[in-house]
Amino acid sequence: MSESNAKISVKGLKKSFGANEVLKGLDVDIAEGEVVCVIGPSGSGKSTFLRCLNKLEDISGGTVAVNGFDLTDPKVDLNAVRQNIGMVFQHFNLFPHMTVLQNIMLAPVELKKLDKAAARAKGMELLKRVDLVEKADARPGSLSGGQKQRVAIARALAMNPGIMLFDEATSALDPEMVGEVLQVIRDLAAEGMTMVVVTHEMGFAREVADRVIFMDAGYICEEGTPDAIFSNAQQPRLQEFLAKVL
Amino acid sequence: MLRRPPMWRRRGGTFAALAAFFTVAIMFFGIGGASALAVPTAPTDVKGKTFAIATDTTFAPFEFRDGSGELVGIDMDLLRAIATEQGFQVDIKSLGFDAALQAVQSNQVAGVIAGMSITDERKKVFDFSEPYFDSGVQMAVAKDNEDIKTYKDLKGKTVVAKRGSEGETFANSIKDEYGFTVKALADSATMYDDVKAGNSVAVFDDYPVLAYGVSQNNGLKIVTAKEQGSSYGFAVNKGQNQDLLKAFDAGLANLKANGEYQKILDKYLAKSEVQEQGGFFQLVKDSFPALMKGLWLTMVATVLSLAIALVLGVVFGFFKVAESRILRGIATTYVAIFRGTPLLVQAFFFYFGLPQMTGQPLSVLAAGVITLSLNAGAYMTEIVRGGIQSVDAGQLEASRSLGLGYVTSMRRVVVPQAIKIMTPSFINQFVITLKDTSLLAVIGFAELTYQGQQIYATNFRTGETLLIVAALYFIVITALTQLSNLVDRKFNK
Repeated sequence: MSESNAKISVKGLKKSFGANEVLKGLDVDIAEGEVVCVIGPSGSGKSTFLRCLNKLEDISGGTVAVNGFDLTDPKVDLNAVRQNIGMVFQHFNLFPHMTVLQNIMLAPVELKKLDKAAARAKGMELLKRVDLVEKADARPGSLSGGQKQRVAIARALAMNPGIMLFDEATSALDPEMVGEVLQVIRDLAAEGMTMVVVTHEMGFAREVADRVIFMDAGYICEEGTPDAIFSNAQQPRLQEFLAKVL
Repeated sequence: MLRRPPMWRRRGGTFAALAAFFTVAIMFFGIGGASALAVPTAPTDVKGKTFAIATDTTFAPFEFRDGSGELVGIDMDLLRAIATEQGFQVDIKSLGFDAALQAVQSNQVAGVIAGMSITDERKKVFDFSEPYFDSGVQMAVAKDNEDIKTYKDLKGKTVVAKRGSEGETFANSIKDEYGFTVKALADSATMYDDVKAGNSVAVFDDYPVLAYGVSQNNGLKIVTAKEQGSSYGFAVNKGQNQDLLKAFDAGLANLKANGEYQKILDKYLAKSEVQEQGGFFQLVKDSFPALMKGLWLTMVATVLSLAIALVLGVVFGFFKVAESRILRGIATTYVAIFRGTPLLVQAFFFYFGLPQMTGQPLSVLAAGVITLSLNAGAYMTEIVRGGIQSVDAGQLEASRSLGLGYVTSMRRVVVPQAIKIMTPSFINQFVITLKDTSLLAVIGFAELTYQGQQIYATNFRTGETLLIVAALYFIVITALTQLSNLVDRKFNK
């Protein structure tokens, strides 16, 4: 275990794609039950940062520790760590060849956490939570964007993760569907889930976040409470950014 | 004689080099020498013994299969008559010309009779009988051609001869004197068609082959006398089976004396005023058993090759999308080699080249299947790679983010989607491989095309026979394509 009691502990995180350094040394600690929203302009490294938290991206430098397990340590069982981190993608990434319920049941059954019947019960419970019980046997292709993303959230919750990562979960949605997805995320926050939310929804960030991180050009430019960030921005870049988006 | 370009069959040089190589190879590897069926211990007589004798598969009129599939021809009838006359038995093995010579050399058989020219080169490795047949070159023209009667009439015209044959050598030796052009083709049936089609006015070919064709109503007539050519002999491995050789000579002399020998020759070479050729449906009926046999082998080769190619394609396809640079390199090299060289060259290599290098002969089916599977496997590799890569990267990420391992993610998420994408390409490759089996005819694999060639090599009805062959391919491929599409639609909704 790391010395801090942080759920996620990032130290000196660097990430390069070839010669292009996208993350230039980030230090973040996220406590249990904390909701962190990450904002910033396109290309600032928000998504890359998020994807480093479950090592979907190889880490070029520094360390990322989740629940005390250092992801950069080759001896760490990455699959076991990932089971405890749910991830929701901008483009849903549902499995089109499976039904909604099969999408949700896949991980619990394959990883032998639950037998088929228990996994099915769990799946139905999650669908009830995102209000999509009637779509259990539908194929993802027949769902609306908002429904797809709610299924994706249910799928990410199937392994009972302690952490949820949201990568611009509402960016690909039609405006009228954003609300239903944000409501699900809001509910999770209220239940005390540890969450890192990369978002362009400033109002949402202000509402649910315990802390907001503003990223720019591969650095954490400014961070603080929603009030501090949105009402009392210090850095000119943040002020500039907020002037554009608010 | 369709089995391979005639340079391999009639010329001494190529074979002698090959034979020398094999002799060395066989001695070196110590293989194949143990199973001589009849190595005499004393020069006693041969009565009551059985000798294994190798021969070619098809070299009409010396050895070929008649309508009932029985091996017949001058060589066969002569050998059987001599055996009966001398009181021994023969066990005839139809191996193909090159393989027959190898079998004698490795003492797997006692002797070879295969329309084999007696040459000085061959005398170094074989002991020959007295010549039993004198060949020679003759010129033939279309049956209704009244203009060409002598070499003088050829001025300004084009004639055809078999590549690498004595006929070609002879035609070239007199072309300047008489002012004609020589075109070389690979086998007798196509040469005759060339003459009948009017592309060439005359053909120079071996007398027995030509005479047999004429006797089978091939639409030609012979207009010149025989030019002196080589003689054919029965052969045994040098220093081995001398009593068999003596018995052959004695039997041959007796058959010549009692007229039996001439009867055998006349049976195949005399100009018979026989039947006009039957109709198209008669041809379909007559050729059906042989073509079905060929179609069966075509299917066997296709199915075996595709099964192996699928395994190769999956293995190397996954190598291609692997993170390891070494695995990717292996797969890329494999694909580059087999996609970057002609299938025909690969077939020759595996059937003729590899056995020379390893000393381990491959059966023609094995060589054919190896060739097709490695070739199709290269294309399958690209299909598999393309299929996997066309699945959105987000699918694998989503699966991995759930904590599923790479293998499980591939198996449950990526591959099922890739298969759906790949299926049409697989069906396409299946059709290509089925058609590619026809290329194996050149190494003597008795599939559908080869059977067709054998049929028109003896009946000289090239167009009609090929039409039947093409129709069979078309029917089978169309039926299987429809079936595959049906399966595709059913399982890949």
